[in-house]
Amino acid sequence: MKSKAYTYWVVIISLFLAYLLAIVPLPDWAMNWRPQWVLMFVFYWTMALPYRVGLGFAWAAGLLLDVLEGTMLGLNALTLLIVAYVTLSLHQRLRMYNPIQQSGLLLVLSLVALGLGHWLRVISGQIEPVDSMYLLAAFSSAAIWPALFSLLRSIRRGFINN
Amino acid sequence: MVADNRFGYLDSVRFILSYTATPVYWVADMPARTSEFFDDVFVSHSDLLAENERLTNELLLAQRELQVLASLASENSRLRALNEAARIVEGEVLAAEIVNRSPDRASKRVLINRGALQGVFVGQAMLAADGLMGQVVEVMPRSSWVLLVSDPLHITPVEVNRNGERALARGVRGETDELELEFVTQTQDVRPGDLLVSSGMGQIYPKNFPVADVVSVDNDPGQDFAVIKARPRAQINSTRHVMLLIPPKQEVQP
Repeated sequence: MKSKAYTYWVVIISLFLAYLLAIVPLPDWAMNWRPQWVLMFVFYWTMALPYRVGLGFAWAAGLLLDVLEGTMLGLNALTLLIVAYVTLSLHQRLRMYNPIQQSGLLLVLSLVALGLGHWLRVISGQIEPVDSMYLLAAFSSAAIWPALFSLLRSIRRGFINN
Repeated sequence: MVADNRFGYLDSVRFILSYTATPVYWVADMPARTSEFFDDVFVSHSDLLAENERLTNELLLAQRELQVLASLASENSRLRALNEAARIVEGEVLAAEIVNRSPDRASKRVLINRGALQGVFVGQAMLAADGLMGQVVEVMPRSSWVLLVSDPLHITPVEVNRNGERALARGVRGETDELELEFVTQTQDVRPGDLLVSSGMGQIYPKNFPVADVVSVDNDPGQDFAVIKARPRAQINSTRHVMLLIPPKQEVQP
């Protein structure tokens, strides 16, 4: 079994990739379809390593995403905290599901996170309300989840033996 | 969240946290920089490169002065004082590049590669060669977020270049980059094709810098105000090189 610090490095480096994917500029038509990378990575790591990656980790990951996106500090932290909480409480059942069923739950969580984030920004006056096209990101996230899941699982099995 | 949004208690926390953001921005901008790098390598030598950059900056400056001149000529015809407008030409600028845009479609913001270490401050005006772009809303160590004029929460004080009618230009909601003039009565003289320049009110933007062209004027007698749409002069979605205006030093009165 590898050391605990080593596990954290694998998780942190994978999250760094998620941040890159989350802010890399995309053409206009693709903006609404950009999957919620950081949310999916947090979802995976809390499900796979619930005793190491928990609520504090999700909160910190969200805080950094807030800084990157220039949104209100704590907004993504809150939504990711909710995602991590639900995932943690369901992780034993989630592991039994096949990836398609998991992406069903991911879709719901992602919709909640997007809706909550949008609503919080509207009531705090950061943006003007827009049409609900921004929710498309949840569907693209759910659609690529099975592929991302098998990729992350092979990364975990390759690097973290426990 | 409330502490950050309403009171700014966490500004310093944010500023420190954003040091961690710098490498991510840097890597995310790599594709664009790499392609620029290869363009340079295959086209020219390093000294040509330096000259090229200098010329680009000079061109930006010259274009800006040209825009101001167009405005000045019109102002002259209206026999107004030239002193105010001439002052902008003297103002210095800081060249910057747009490296990213807000991942959120609801807010029209862009990230530039200049930050607090280069002297950028909140409220600084950002100009493109052909028109006003926006203002800095958040400063990080080496990068800053700029709110574009086309954001629905951004209001630019403008005046019609032809006759000096004043109005407020607000970004239109949704995917367009258009502006809408607010609170212009049906009787005010605004026509399609008019050039809107910044009026200098609000003290953020320089006076008489081109902002937008009026596209359509809709005088519906049933409405209180005319519905006027305008298209920003600046190529908001395709510009990479921009300028940040450094305001002239205020003379301290003894």
